[in-house]
Amino acid sequence: MLERIFIFLFLPSVLAAQLCKPDAPEGFKVRLSIKTALQDEAYEWDGNERFLFQATLAFAMGRHTGQEFNVSNILVCDETPRVSFWFVVTSPDDPSQLINRGKVEAAVRMSRNRINSAFLLSDETLEFVGILPTLAAPVEPASPPWLIVFGVVMGLVGAGIVFLLVSTVLQKRRKKNQEGDEGDDDEEARVKTAENGCRSDGIYNTSFSEDEPNTQM
Amino acid sequence: MAKDARDNWENPMQFVLACVSYAVGLGNVWRFPYLCQMHGGGGFLIPYLLMLVLEGVPLFYLELAIGQKMRLGSIGAWTAISPYLGGLGLASVVTSLYLCLYYNIINAWSFWYLFHSFQSVLPWAACPLNANRTGPSEECERATPTQYFFYRETLNISPSIEENGGIHTGQALCFLLAWVITYLFIVRGVKSTGKVVYFTATFPYVVLFIYLIRGFTLHGAINGIKYMFTPKMEELANPTTWINAATQIFFSLGLGFGSLIAFASYNQYHNNFERQAIIVSLINSGTSIFSSVVTFAIYGFKATVNYENCLERTRILLLNTFSLSEDSITIDNVFERIVELNTTHPEQFAELNGKLEDCNLESELSTAVEGTGLAFIVYSEAIKNMPLSQLWSVLYFIMLLMLGMGSMLGNITAIITPLRDFKVLSCISTEVFNGKKKCIVCFICLLLGLGFTTTSGNYWFTMFNDYGATFSLLFIVLIEVITVSYIYGIKRFERDIEDMLGHRPNWYWKIMWAGVSPLLLIGLFLFYIINYIQGGTPTYQAWNKDLGKSEQIEYPLFGQAFIGLLLASSVSCVPLTALYVFCQRRKHAQRHMQQHTVNTVAA
Repeated sequence: MLERIFIFLFLPSVLAAQLCKPDAPEGFKVRLSIKTALQDEAYEWDGNERFLFQATLAFAMGRHTGQEFNVSNILVCDETPRVSFWFVVTSPDDPSQLINRGKVEAAVRMSRNRINSAFLLSDETLEFVGILPTLAAPVEPASPPWLIVFGVVMGLVGAGIVFLLVSTVLQKRRKKNQEGDEGDDDEEARVKTAENGCRSDGIYNTSFSEDEPNTQM
Repeated sequence: MAKDARDNWENPMQFVLACVSYAVGLGNVWRFPYLCQMHGGGGFLIPYLLMLVLEGVPLFYLELAIGQKMRLGSIGAWTAISPYLGGLGLASVVTSLYLCLYYNIINAWSFWYLFHSFQSVLPWAACPLNANRTGPSEECERATPTQYFFYRETLNISPSIEENGGIHTGQALCFLLAWVITYLFIVRGVKSTGKVVYFTATFPYVVLFIYLIRGFTLHGAINGIKYMFTPKMEELANPTTWINAATQIFFSLGLGFGSLIAFASYNQYHNNFERQAIIVSLINSGTSIFSSVVTFAIYGFKATVNYENCLERTRILLLNTFSLSEDSITIDNVFERIVELNTTHPEQFAELNGKLEDCNLESELSTAVEGTGLAFIVYSEAIKNMPLSQLWSVLYFIMLLMLGMGSMLGNITAIITPLRDFKVLSCISTEVFNGKKKCIVCFICLLLGLGFTTTSGNYWFTMFNDYGATFSLLFIVLIEVITVSYIYGIKRFERDIEDMLGHRPNWYWKIMWAGVSPLLLIGLFLFYIINYIQGGTPTYQAWNKDLGKSEQIEYPLFGQAFIGLLLASSVSCVPLTALYVFCQRRKHAQRHMQQHTVNTVAA
């Protein structure tokens, strides 16, 4: 009778010791960096925190599989001062059966956010060794921002060039009008040598141009 | 009406600022700090300042004097000095052309980085994710995010110069913008350039000053400054130190391109360029020293951040391996704990051996970088760690732009001024034709320069940067100083200067021009030749995307042939033109003699 009571009392923990161990095939190592994440507001890792962990894992498993998991289905072992430990998940129907590693991984992935926020940690400070976090999709704006700035600058520069060209044309027109008025007065008196090529002002008086070096035969 | 009078600077200040803007360029920021670090920190200032006095200022003075006296661009000026040496000006123009082709690509990169700074997270701060979003992309993992941004996203670089790809459209757009702005700056000649240089010459100093203050308040900056200023006097015994000092002064002042002659040709005849030459040279060297203080503060900051990150990673590794509580190891006692753990848990420690990094502040500081690597990779890495990084990034890249644009102005003016004086024949009004000439030159350089925006473009850029100008400039300036001292004659030169300034140059200048500078230049020239011959096949740094770092590869045959072409094309202008002029004169003399005989016979 007494033996039966003993076995009945110690069976779960014995089973737990056998099922949960470091490098368990269906288990995961978890590592928390509470002091790094929270510095002054860091909490101590104790039994209550462990209980919270078991509860959140049970929640995650339940959410993923649809079955109802109990806190006792999450077995935690090999805790270290680092705050790292191993855990395995047993099936609610049969406490000696472990849940497949893949399922656990999927469940954790699905509720990763909720698990993180329960502990005020993030993907980097609450590590599930072996489960890579799905990184947030990079925010891609509709049009690359650099193109917008480029467009603005290019537009300004283009406007500058147009302004310069227009002002050059206006200046030339103003000059031509001025010279046109002056040119009417002394057109006959002006003589131009062919120094500047074909300038259209004034009349080119050939009698004053240089003779050919060799006279035509 | 007579020919249109030569444009002038509105006031001498514009001329000084133009020279400062041209001389103070990217080399002051990215080459001098590297040399300083390589050659013993503060001790490098001794050969540097000595070379400034022996060759920098005298040669600068010489070029300004020629430009102001002849009032022509480089081709016209040298033809006036001696008709056989018009080739010297032509060589300057060819070298300036090569420089113009590749220099604006740096401005294109500055624009690219500048435009990308307007984002909430700087794109070079973090690695982009790989395809399945499980982690950063592999190339970025092996290298650093800043290197990845530069080599992959900015350049999209190919593994070697032989493999070519398409043009990077973003790059090409920025390149187009750079050329459009350059054209805008020079379109009205000295009138527009004169106004622009007020800004391009002064703004970099504002940014450098702001960065100096920011740099000194950065965590760990003092490590860099201490490292720089502890002089290693034994470096002075190394001849490379002196040679590098001489070449740095030489190239930093921008001698031999013809830009200084072009700028000075727009001066009033009696402008006091002697004082201006000294001022500009001193400003140039002062800026180099100033910017290296800033750079070393930034180095110190970056090295300290990397070192502390390394320590942190080691600490986490130790915590995880030995499952110790988090506050048992802090950053300060990492090394002691390593020793402790080695003795207490030797087997576990042995497993760590491969993963344990060697964190060393000295080695972080001694990774000296120069060139585009410093400007675009090291600096952006430092900037991303600063708070308000977007602001610092924008400031920094605008400064790079100002420096680059200022130098571009000088380079382009060096091409356009001689072209303008060379042919005054036109049936259209000279002003419009000049405008068209500038447009044509810019357009041609733009089209040819698009080659640098392809995937192998950076390798071609490096080739042009290393070989396009260095050797030819030494040759050009050597011939320049020998021409002025011996062919034109120091006495005549003295009289010209007296005509312009009102007093003769004192004995110091004459000794430098006639003796010291030519000897120095001959020495440098010989050193370069010996280096080329002894150096074997020229190599370049190619980016290996699998390893995530650069490695040295030899240039292929066509690359080496191109290098030879670059060197030969500018240097050969001098003898070829001399030969051409000689043949022309002989033909002329013969024809003249024939005409004479005909006339006497006919009469």
